[in-house]
Amino acid sequence: MKSYIYLLGLILLNLTMSCKNETKEWSYLKTIDLGKATPIGLTAMEGHLWVADGDNNQLIHLDGEGKVLFKEEGFERPMHIASDRGSIYVPEYGKDQITIFKGNERTKLNLVDSLDAPAGIHIKDGQMAIADFYNHRILFSNDGNWISFGKEGKADGEFYYPTDVHTAHQKIYVADAYNNRVQVFDYKGAHLQTIGETEKMNAATGIYVSQSQLFVTDFEHDRILIYDLQGKLLQEISEGLEKPTDILIENKTLYIANYKGKNLMVYKIK
Amino acid sequence: MKNLLIVIISVLAFASITNNVNAQSDRDQIEVQVDGLGCPFCAYGLEKKFKEFKGIKDVKIELETGQFSFTYPADKELGLEEVENQVEKAGYTAVTTKIIRADGKIEESKQNITELTEESQIVSKDIFVSGNCGMCKARIEKTAKNVNGVVSATWDEDSKMLKLEFDSSQTSIGEVSQEVAKAGHDTKYSKAEDDVYNNLPGCCQYERAQ
Repeated sequence: MKSYIYLLGLILLNLTMSCKNETKEWSYLKTIDLGKATPIGLTAMEGHLWVADGDNNQLIHLDGEGKVLFKEEGFERPMHIASDRGSIYVPEYGKDQITIFKGNERTKLNLVDSLDAPAGIHIKDGQMAIADFYNHRILFSNDGNWISFGKEGKADGEFYYPTDVHTAHQKIYVADAYNNRVQVFDYKGAHLQTIGETEKMNAATGIYVSQSQLFVTDFEHDRILIYDLQGKLLQEISEGLEKPTDILIENKTLYIANYKGKNLMVYKIK
Repeated sequence: MKNLLIVIISVLAFASITNNVNAQSDRDQIEVQVDGLGCPFCAYGLEKKFKEFKGIKDVKIELETGQFSFTYPADKELGLEEVENQVEKAGYTAVTTKIIRADGKIEESKQNITELTEESQIVSKDIFVSGNCGMCKARIEKTAKNVNGVVSATWDEDSKMLKLEFDSSQTSIGEVSQEVAKAGHDTKYSKAEDDVYNNLPGCCQYERAQ
């Protein structure tokens, strides 16, 4: 009987701990000032951060603590960037191309389709997805075979100026900016789910998907919305945010590109 | 010999200056004050839209101040209306437009100024106007101010109220309301045509009352 009570106690304690884990929230840690830079896109590589500074046509390379190491100029409106195997992939909105930046070299990503203002790219495990802003579509490649899906509109599977894209959990997550929502697709481009409609966002401009959470920037409302992967709203971050455009998680740390605030806001789970 | 060198250098310097003047003098300088450049995605779109003007150079865009400028070949005689139409195509509102011609002449857009008479009666009224952002604000205010009789117009993004001062002998709240709706914004009294609403930039497509 005593062992039975002890076991029951352990189960109850475990359940309580699980509940507490689920309710853990992101808490403010610090702000990384970027001077005159206007961060639009973020990526991480080898423990360092890279920031796309759209207004000043440059990339900014920071160490893990947020210290600026150098700036790489000469990009035409760089947007939501990505990294893969030592290269930074830069959607150049003003040049209608994806530029691959590695060391001191720049090459153009070869695509059969032409882009009209690429606004975001994401690369992971051999998959590459591109948000093609003025064409209202997503380009997706799984091991080199490209498909495109979406057209201008408001129905499921249609877009109104997609600005960012993320692949995770065998799905493609799209920041459907001016339809004010997130749409989720399978690798064939079939619509699976829509998230965020009840929050009445105004311009869902940036997206990031972690193991268990989905983050989206609500640009005009100066906030970040955090959902679980089923679309249930978990947390809203708004303090200090002015027109956020992108989110990144690196080393269990949440970084927010605070476009008009000209800084990165840093959060940790507490 | 020294004098000869001085003369040669002077001639070369003069030739260089003359060439520079000629290089500049074949281009017009265009300066536009654009309202509502808050969203980078749309602002960069404005820049992109003007790339359709073949021969455009020296493009500068300041998101903070809304200053947009470029140079253009003088022989193409780009007009104020063409510039303003192109700004509108990108979804923005040109508050003021100025062209400094290559020969120094200046052309500027005229803003509507209401002239008051002895019969004028200034009335202050607020009206609800749907909209979302800084671009909406610029469009709504410019449209209202262009109605003869309107003295001032200020729209608040949070309350959605348009504060109007107008001469009731020249216009009415109904007329202003209709003009604002024609620009794509539903008001308490008038509804915008669907196709005009659908042509608003993405960030301006406010939620419409059913």
